[in-house]
Amino acid sequence: MQNGDEPGIDRRDLLRLLAGVAAANALGVATWAALEALLPKGNADTWTKAVCRFCGTGCGVQIGMRAGRVTDVRGDELAHNAGVICVKGSMLRALPYVQGRLTTPMIRRGGKSSPLTPATWEEAMALVASKFQEAIAAAGPDSVAFYGSGQLFTEESYTANKLFKAGIRTNNVDGNPRLCMASAATGYTQTFGKDEPPGSYEDIDHAECLFVIGANPFHCHPPLHERMMRRKRLHPETTIICVDPRRTDTADHADIHLAPVPGTDLLLLNSMAQVICADGLADLEFVKRHVRFTDGSATIEFDAFKAFLDASYAPEQVSQELGITAIDIRRVAHRFAKAKATMSLWTMGLNQRTQGTALNAMVSSLHLLTGQFGRPGATPFSVTGQPNACGGVRDTGALSHALPNGRVVANPKHREEMEQIWAVPAGTISPKPGLPAVDLFQAMGDGKVHAALIMCTNPAQSLPNSAVQTANMSKAFLVVAEIFADSETAQVADVLLPAALWIEKEGVTGQGERRYQYTPRLLEPPGHCRSDLAILVDLADRLGHGKLISARTPEAVWDEWRQVSAHSKYNFAGITYPRLKALHGLQWPCPTPDHPGTVRRFVEGSDPLVAPGTGLEFYGFPDGKAVIATRPYVRSPEMPSAEFPLQLTTGRVVEQWHTGTMTMRIPELRDGAGPAHIEISPSDADRAHVAPGARLRITSRFGSIEGLARISDRCRPGTLFAAFYDVKLLINRVVADHVDPVSKEPEYKLTAVRLELAQA
Amino acid sequence: MNWLTLVRVLGSLTCLLTIVGAWFIARRNFARLHQRPEVSLGLTTLPANAFWKLSALAIIAILPLATIAVANYHTFVGIHEVQACSQCHVMRPMANDLHDPGSDTLAARHFKNGYIPTGQCYACHSDYGFNGDLAAKLEGYRHLARYTSRTYTEPLQARTRFDNHQCLKCHRGKTAFERVHMHKDVLARLESSNMSCLNCHGRAHPTRADRTPGSARYSALTKPPVFSEADHE
Repeated sequence: MQNGDEPGIDRRDLLRLLAGVAAANALGVATWAALEALLPKGNADTWTKAVCRFCGTGCGVQIGMRAGRVTDVRGDELAHNAGVICVKGSMLRALPYVQGRLTTPMIRRGGKSSPLTPATWEEAMALVASKFQEAIAAAGPDSVAFYGSGQLFTEESYTANKLFKAGIRTNNVDGNPRLCMASAATGYTQTFGKDEPPGSYEDIDHAECLFVIGANPFHCHPPLHERMMRRKRLHPETTIICVDPRRTDTADHADIHLAPVPGTDLLLLNSMAQVICADGLADLEFVKRHVRFTDGSATIEFDAFKAFLDASYAPEQVSQELGITAIDIRRVAHRFAKAKATMSLWTMGLNQRTQGTALNAMVSSLHLLTGQFGRPGATPFSVTGQPNACGGVRDTGALSHALPNGRVVANPKHREEMEQIWAVPAGTISPKPGLPAVDLFQAMGDGKVHAALIMCTNPAQSLPNSAVQTANMSKAFLVVAEIFADSETAQVADVLLPAALWIEKEGVTGQGERRYQYTPRLLEPPGHCRSDLAILVDLADRLGHGKLISARTPEAVWDEWRQVSAHSKYNFAGITYPRLKALHGLQWPCPTPDHPGTVRRFVEGSDPLVAPGTGLEFYGFPDGKAVIATRPYVRSPEMPSAEFPLQLTTGRVVEQWHTGTMTMRIPELRDGAGPAHIEISPSDADRAHVAPGARLRITSRFGSIEGLARISDRCRPGTLFAAFYDVKLLINRVVADHVDPVSKEPEYKLTAVRLELAQA
Repeated sequence: MNWLTLVRVLGSLTCLLTIVGAWFIARRNFARLHQRPEVSLGLTTLPANAFWKLSALAIIAILPLATIAVANYHTFVGIHEVQACSQCHVMRPMANDLHDPGSDTLAARHFKNGYIPTGQCYACHSDYGFNGDLAAKLEGYRHLARYTSRTYTEPLQARTRFDNHQCLKCHRGKTAFERVHMHKDVLARLESSNMSCLNCHGRAHPTRADRTPGSARYSALTKPPVFSEADHE
């Protein structure tokens, strides 16, 4: 301001003012820049999409990393699971860093009784190859075997299957999906002509009735349970029916809980079918157009099917043995049939049964009878257990009876097709189906299988009658690709091969709704660990099958595999690696690179393989019709008796995955689950004078084991429950190993036992 | 008239007084103060020198400070309301979803079930605002700079971890929370916001896919939100 009479500003003042304004702005921008640089960026610098390592829900996850380490894992909101994962998925961040990883090959240098000692890859693989060659030379190709897993990547299972079936020429290729999903596969195949669920998870969002039977998604597939709850919240008229002998957490959230006597639920399904037919609830137009009936040997008419049901399965006839009132049977049958859309969801409660195939097929049959099929929300959905049992094993045909894309060994035409596709001489693939899991390990004990490669699974803990089977496997030359040296199976191995885990390798998994998803390699494997694919390629080279196994990288194998699928009704030639990397999974069929994937199989407009104008075509059968068969109820050999008056059933808990080899090393999950217990109802506990925490001995026809009691009204009287994750309660040592005659899947869910207090 | 409107009027008055006073001060020739030695204020008279010094103090310091204080108070209190947040169009999807009775996001469910009848955004994001911590204010400054300079891309993605205490402050100790034993398994991680509650409980707001320009839901989500009386209570 000038020194004068009137106020005003001169040029210098103006410049000062402008300089001040500029300085203030500069300060603001500098502050902003500083904040951009200095403010914390959460727990991670980079986020990469991947897939959860654990269950068959196959949740999309985002992996957060900083300084080369996994620092966070979140649900991927753009994946099918819409950002929802579970406590196991949340703790994936700890998985790559768990203690006790096997990081170098180990071999027994002095025979079975000598300790496992570190070796080089060259030493270990040379030993493996020589033992395999020795066995093949001495007793033929069927003296060796591969036992894989629904947790290998698809590229790995495909390569193993090809190596053993088209290279070594044995069909002794099986895996742990035999223990969990075989009945689902045979049930679907017998009903629709093709394996794999026709529907999708998104059907949950449209269902008005959710029929959950033999499944506990609250613990085993939490994101699916959350999705069911979401449906219920948004549409309170949705009815959730839970059928489970235990009052599980899933049952607690259901509108109707039916608790059948374990082992009798085929009575329930047949009785529901009887009510549906007798009360005029069947969709006869749908049945006429899309369904064929059979009694197992010949085609029959609908009336004959109805007569079969009327003869033995009216609610009043089955009620007592089933343990469910006739009123409740009618109530659920009516709700199932009358809902605008009914979706069934089931898992091991139906699969792991001596009538597993019949149970699976019968659920699908209820959908066909009532026309609850092919519309949004109307579908029979077998929820899968493992992250890649569907894509990696069922689709690739990495089972002893199977060949890729739904083909079977026993079919000469199928063998011929695969021989042409794999460009191997006619007659290469053995016409003799290989040994399914239980028989395979038994054959090791019998001296028929001399050498076996086990990958990514822990059969010494997970097989039924596991003490006997562990003794059997210890008689063979056992090669185990493992991540830990102390698993039950690793302890009886002759060679241990350190395997890469989860994001230490790349590959594709196919979860329960026919969706293939890509997992990237984000970490270096520790020590000398190698991917299972690298191990298989090495073995192929050493056994002289390097030319056959020409695809040696995950992407090369995937490209070969998707081209193989193009020769089938699985056709996913359009699911390329670039698409898998860019998108959040694609559902097959997906024949071309521009196809969006198939949400509902067999449905025109969704499934590109359905003939135009058919509306719905079950193209697995020549006449395009699905099959409903009469499914007589057969009592399980493990029903209670005077000697074994109780029934043991087994399962999972939410914090633990399978045999706990990974999840028991993560403190939050280990402490959360705690030690496994033998769950017993209050009335049975009173009768046997069992106090909470008492040490019990349970004995079956197969073995005996001790464990701590947990008294819980979740168990119905007469039933015990135990989870199988805890090495301190190897419950599968007492579990029966009867198998379904069709699927060869064991009946884990039912073992007759007796109970006594253990001696102190 | 609600409290916030009163604050707004008060702020406007102090601002107006400051401007008018500044005008008077600027036009005053302080060299001629001696020509009127006293200024009458009705009840009393003050020496002109003292009067104008006091006036200058009020106009140059007190009134501007009061204006700033009232404006800041207004801003901090005002941004507790969902209307304030949704003035930025990138926040509109959150506001529209909040009021969508068919939405199953956590925000919509909390609103629909009456858990956040007022101050909906602030109810779960109360680390900003008058009582918010310094980090939240710095983050807010960064947001402001980004927004006004248009140096952001849609869909927005949170840069920092959501503070789980915003969830725990209500849910912890409640039966529904305590009976889920999984919460105990990971409580330490939840308390340190090292694990997101959303992992198991789903999305809080519309997905990034839906908030991406060109998506099927983008237009509906970014239309100007309509507020009901309930939002103002």
